[in-house]
Amino acid sequence: MKTLTETMRGLAARSPWIYRINAGSCNGCDVECATTACIPRYDVERLGCQYCGSPRHADIVLITGPLTARIKDDVLRVYAEIPDPKVTVAVGICPISGGVFRESYAVHAPMDQYIPIDVNVPGCPPRPQAIIEGVALAIDIWRERL
Amino acid sequence: MKFFKIFARNLIQGPSTIAFPFAPAWTPERLRGRIVFDLAGCTGCRACEQVCAGGAIRFDKTPQGLRFMMWHNTCVFCGLCTFYCPTKAITQSDDWHMAHAAAHKFEMAIREVIPYTTCSVCGLKTLASAPNPVGVVPPFSAEEIEQHRQLCAGCRKKAMAERGATS
Repeated sequence: MKTLTETMRGLAARSPWIYRINAGSCNGCDVECATTACIPRYDVERLGCQYCGSPRHADIVLITGPLTARIKDDVLRVYAEIPDPKVTVAVGICPISGGVFRESYAVHAPMDQYIPIDVNVPGCPPRPQAIIEGVALAIDIWRERL
Repeated sequence: MKFFKIFARNLIQGPSTIAFPFAPAWTPERLRGRIVFDLAGCTGCRACEQVCAGGAIRFDKTPQGLRFMMWHNTCVFCGLCTFYCPTKAITQSDDWHMAHAAAHKFEMAIREVIPYTTCSVCGLKTLASAPNPVGVVPPFSAEEIEQHRQLCAGCRKKAMAERGATS
């Protein structure tokens, strides 16, 4: 006889919800993230994922942008609201290294000095397929953590 | 009636969703993807370092030689390095499968060293880089490239003059 927690865990493992944080991105990566959900050609919801509007419902976090100085505190606050276990995916080269904004006074890249990042998806912006690949990697990590 | 039309069309065309990640995805022929570096063709001119938009390419001097470093995680795939490379030692492949676990962040790099050698004519310490073939008439043969690799800058100039070539 399975306990309720185990049952819930089994159900949750099949449908991680995605939440998207824009940490000062140029919107290139955001468009590609929206593409994965809104265009039937890519359709990230086949993997059981769904974009959600509240950080409190999220399991997988997609972060875009180089973490600008102005938005840093807000990003950290929103990130802290996401319940554990969570998997963080850095979409685009900005959160990974700073990309073209590297060594600028206005950005706090790389992001992994503030937020633990699990999966990197490099690209400027990455293809929708590459984002789906990254989300698939994140789902594997998330199932291990659950 | 319009519904039946769309229904019939969809039945014939099948789903528009691509099968990736459960099957390989279609890649455009000229997609600008992961950078590929060919050490044998590099002249060490450092033009790629100058033009790199994301600062992904860096050269530095090591005791072994001139080290070429390229970090994929800050490359914007603009293609400037491939455009300005005189020998096309840097090219862009159509590989876009670059999602990786963050622990392997710094393994996503190219590190190659153009070694030092001694000039086969005057014995001077020099880089064993490939000669720059731009505008050389007649063009370099494979053996000539290997010969020039063992020469210092001065002896290369002399060899070019003796060859009757303009560059």
